[in-house]
Amino acid sequence: MSTIERVSQWSHRIFNTTANEQNVRRSSNPFAQSNFQKNILMEDVFESSDKKHVSFTGGITQGTKRIYSTFVGSINDFGKKFYDGIESIKEFGLRMKDGIVGMWNKAVELGNTELHPIEGLKNGYSAIKNVLATDMGKLFNTREKEVARLAKLDPQSEVKPMLSDAVKALEEEITMAA
Amino acid sequence: MNITINKTTKTYNRVSDIIDSLTINPNPEAVAVLEEIGTNSSIDEVREMTARALVKRNEPASLSVVITQRGKGINDMSTVVAMSTINCLLSLEDKEEAMKVLENTISGEGIEEDVRENARSVKALMALS
Repeated sequence: MSTIERVSQWSHRIFNTTANEQNVRRSSNPFAQSNFQKNILMEDVFESSDKKHVSFTGGITQGTKRIYSTFVGSINDFGKKFYDGIESIKEFGLRMKDGIVGMWNKAVELGNTELHPIEGLKNGYSAIKNVLATDMGKLFNTREKEVARLAKLDPQSEVKPMLSDAVKALEEEITMAA
Repeated sequence: MNITINKTTKTYNRVSDIIDSLTINPNPEAVAVLEEIGTNSSIDEVREMTARALVKRNEPASLSVVITQRGKGINDMSTVVAMSTINCLLSLEDKEEAMKVLENTISGEGIEEDVRENARSVKALMALS
């Protein structure tokens, strides 16, 4: 490089500071080199980007540090999503509550229209109370009903053939499976 | 050959329902049905369910089947069936009838020695529980 060319470069750097500053700013901006999008960057942004492989005492390079920062940013983002999820569950619960309250009011209204107002209110209240007091498991447990039905039959004439057939069918099922 | 039975099938549930119904059936003939079909089944699970049903009835006739008879209940060849029956006997709230049957078996004449030995062991366990 000739002396004239060097002088030309110096003069350019001395007299055209704006262009030089822009160049420096761009190169030191970590957001320009990495696509972090919405993630939060935890590293020191004032550090020069020219030292790309600076080793720390723990052996962590600048690049690794940036990756960790991205990871931490993604965790923060996950937290937000998780919070949004809980919010939606809360909303769902509130809707359910409103629905139950609405159903209760409707039941009381129906009771009122059919009978005398006070009598209807009592009926509606007692009907709902009975439904709520009933064991929901028993309402849907058809097995218990079936066992109770079979227990009323005569063991020798009615239950014995049933048990015999069922055991034979089970034996065949096991033989087929084997 | 050890065959694992699928306990979620319709047939298995049917057998289970019928045996459960015979547990609560007030007719004494229910014991005879359980003894004749259930305890003589080739399937371990059916014999186990039957033995438990007979213990739960907690009657002298039903307890006699699982305690005194050879190859049934506590004397079953299958360890699972025998242990399950013993466990059911130990968990009885009212053990009075079971203790009577056990004593009769221990002191009874014409009963095989191994059956008496089993009854003696179960009686000792029941006294401790």
